Amino acid sequence: MSTNKPDLKNKGDDAAGMDRREFLVTTAVVGGGMMLGLFSRPTASEASSLPVTAQPWYREATVPEINAWIAIAPDDTVTIRIGQTEIGTGVLTCNAMIIAEELQCDWSKVRTEYASANRDFKEKAPEWTLKVPGNGESDPGGAAPVELGPMTGVYRRMIIHSSGNIRESRYYLQLAGAEARERLLLAAANMWSVPVAELVAKDSLITHAKSKRKTTYGAIAARAATTQLPDPSQVKIKTPDKFTLCGTEQKNFDVPLKVTGEAIYGIDIRLPGMLYAAVKSCPVWGGDVKSHNADAIKGMPGVHSVVRLPYNELTKAVDFLSGGVAVVADSWWHAQKALDALPIEWDAGRGAGVSSKDLYDEHVMFAKQPGRMIVEEGNIDTGFGRAAKIVEATYSVPYSPRARMEPGNATVLVGDGRVDIWSGDQDPQGLLRNAAMITGINGANVYVHSTFQGGGYGSNGNGPQGEQAVLIANAVKGRPIKMLWSRDEDWGSGTKYRPMSVCILKAGLDANGYPIAMEVRHATAWDLGDMGTRGLASPPYWMPNYRLTIHRPMTHVPIGTRRGTGAAPNAFYLEGFIDELAHVAGKDPYMYRRELISRNPVGAKGGVGGFPHRDDFIRALDIAAKMSNWGSPLPEGWARGIAVDDRRRPSRTTSTICAEVHTIEVSKRGKLTLHRVDVAFEQGFAFMHPLSVRKQIEGQIAWGYDDTMYQATTLKDGRAVERNFDLFAVSRMNEYPRQVNIEFFKSKRWITGAGEEAIPTIPPAILNAVHKITGKRLRSIPLKDQDLSWG
Amino acid sequence: MAFTLLVNNIPYAVDVEPDTPLLWVLRDSIGLTGTKYGCGIGQCGACTVLINGLAVRSCSLPVSRAMATPITTIEGLSADGTHPVQLAWKEFDVPQCGYCQSGQILAAAALLQKTPNPTDEDIDRQMTNACRCGTYHRIRQAIHRAARMRA
Repeated sequence: MSTNKPDLKNKGDDAAGMDRREFLVTTAVVGGGMMLGLFSRPTASEASSLPVTAQPWYREATVPEINAWIAIAPDDTVTIRIGQTEIGTGVLTCNAMIIAEELQCDWSKVRTEYASANRDFKEKAPEWTLKVPGNGESDPGGAAPVELGPMTGVYRRMIIHSSGNIRESRYYLQLAGAEARERLLLAAANMWSVPVAELVAKDSLITHAKSKRKTTYGAIAARAATTQLPDPSQVKIKTPDKFTLCGTEQKNFDVPLKVTGEAIYGIDIRLPGMLYAAVKSCPVWGGDVKSHNADAIKGMPGVHSVVRLPYNELTKAVDFLSGGVAVVADSWWHAQKALDALPIEWDAGRGAGVSSKDLYDEHVMFAKQPGRMIVEEGNIDTGFGRAAKIVEATYSVPYSPRARMEPGNATVLVGDGRVDIWSGDQDPQGLLRNAAMITGINGANVYVHSTFQGGGYGSNGNGPQGEQAVLIANAVKGRPIKMLWSRDEDWGSGTKYRPMSVCILKAGLDANGYPIAMEVRHATAWDLGDMGTRGLASPPYWMPNYRLTIHRPMTHVPIGTRRGTGAAPNAFYLEGFIDELAHVAGKDPYMYRRELISRNPVGAKGGVGGFPHRDDFIRALDIAAKMSNWGSPLPEGWARGIAVDDRRRPSRTTSTICAEVHTIEVSKRGKLTLHRVDVAFEQGFAFMHPLSVRKQIEGQIAWGYDDTMYQATTLKDGRAVERNFDLFAVSRMNEYPRQVNIEFFKSKRWITGAGEEAIPTIPPAILNAVHKITGKRLRSIPLKDQDLSWG
Repeated sequence: MAFTLLVNNIPYAVDVEPDTPLLWVLRDSIGLTGTKYGCGIGQCGACTVLINGLAVRSCSLPVSRAMATPITTIEGLSADGTHPVQLAWKEFDVPQCGYCQSGQILAAAALLQKTPNPTDEDIDRQMTNACRCGTYHRIRQAIHRAARMRA
């Protein structure tokens, strides 16, 4: 990319001149006050020793480092490195709890900072930590198998997605804490010449009862740093019944910084000599710039240069969604204003002219043609032949972005043979690799300084924010560039979407109204892993004859994961349709589900029918129904809707079972009010950080409600119509239910996660209740343009 | 054009075009980055600041209209995070990603200024900021707690 030079510069504008002007523009303070510059805001967090600083990125340890995760200062302060980015799910606190649990240190002296993707690139994890201990997800002393391939760098899985933080990193974080504890103990034993087995470690204190000797972690840390265990593979992790910290309610470390405005997000980075960039990419994904006239904005205030972002082999490889142009200026406002004035002609490519109505019709057409067989159990034709009644319905969801609050951004400095990136990014390891690819600079010299991140809601929720910033900074070498997308750019051009999908479900019912055959034809462009089949490939309901086929239309819309994953649309389809069947059968939808689940044999079995979670599904339904007073009378125009899902993947047995009852009111004129939500949520063996789980579920209730009520991206002329909060609504305080009850129940396995597992049940629970009130069976979301009036 | 802004009781001289939104002057010229950019069209409320004690969306207010009126940003709400709203926010562990919370907290402070003992309906009406993480449940509880703390 070294040939991608800026193609415009203001006359006489050298870097030094820009520096001078920037200082004039930005920072004269009248009557004293503070000097502004590199993070010159008062860092109260440092002064008051908060457990995490406003600028939480990795620093080289200046105190003894026991292993890559843990450094211990003489005053017993323990610094714990956190691999994943804090997007609001509590990793900075939770992962520290997991390590501190094993380390047995004083929790009040724990501090956290991010791990380093650069160090991870250069340093391998110790060989003995790579083996997953125990015997899979049903072993309390074990772990679920790692799904993301080897990830053998010292910080292992830094990407945060698919609710996988605890599922995938818990065991090696436990190992890190346990190994450090054993080395502290061994160092003390060696110092005192006593057997290590006679020592006890608790709250950062090591005690030898026999000789009444004591030392602290801080005092022994330097020795421990050079003490190695004879055989570290013998280190054992605690089973959940031995936990004393994990599973307790602990406040989140980052909260104090987030109530004072101190927490530094990617968008808040300020560096000396920094320039700002605004970007416009072709709004039709896969398109590029045909022409742009940089001369037209040459005289505009503050403009430094215009950088072309090509759409070529390299940028496609680093996940650009289309080609574009960046304007670099002395402030972001100047950059964006000039960008808006820049004449650009687009080459829209193959997506030109496509509308979401066209795509919907195409999906329906695909769903009716032969598809790819995913599951075939028994013989559905025989089943339908014997059926007393056939029920058929077509369900759909629209395109939708993750729509996080912080627009995409990153600040990048490309110097001689070194790249520095400041960003909140869900995948620092991927960003490092991509930056190396774009600049040709070895990954060993790429540094990602992770910040707080303003929401994620989907793996790689960022789009190519970091990659675009690297490309611009590579063209304007030697100056830090803060690239920031406008909201319009972020939602319209920078993000990937949960795809539209259309699902045709057909069931043959016996004389009692229970299905003896079911066919599911799912048209979806979601080709990532099992997104199109998750949940549908292994429904919890007994179906003696069952067939699932996938029908894959090709579209130009970029498809990614989104909070709720494939389980969200798939559970909407299945849980909506099961409710329809219950209604046709004239049975209570809760009892109908219960009956169909209990007909399964218990043993593990692939495909449909028979799975080890059967009884836990029933428990979840029973708990949610009881919590909600299911069956008790409600005022006219009110109803309860129920749904259950486990986000289970066909290839795995991990799950998080969640049953919900939503109590709603629909006025005769069609206004919907969500009054109350009752949630039964599987805990597995144990939660690590229950406060965050609770907060996640509370938040998911709003998230799922917004999907149900408002959120859709429609396409016109190949581009997204909804590009800001005016057309893409987010519910506010007044729509959040006044009553939310959450109950956890234990089960004998490790759960999948908690970042999105309460979402799939929300749209079907609400729509099932809408049907009870209005008699209208609605089979698509959102509801905003649908008529709910009745009576 | 030169403007003087009174932010958190400190006068700042800035040299920007008069149509520059107050948000960008606060963030990029003055360096107070606690005020966030969310939508740029006055919808989401991430950019909320207090002007004369009222919650105002700074992304849609030209700097030329913000002169000579005292402006409070999240950095100036209290010296050390001990405004009752901030204390209550910490007690209920309200923020998740936290990006909208500066705006939420200032909106809540303005609400309590006007309505010291708000009902749920008052909170529904006056708390109009968007939170994509959906922290509304805890925001409501924290506002009630902050009201009791003030009383």
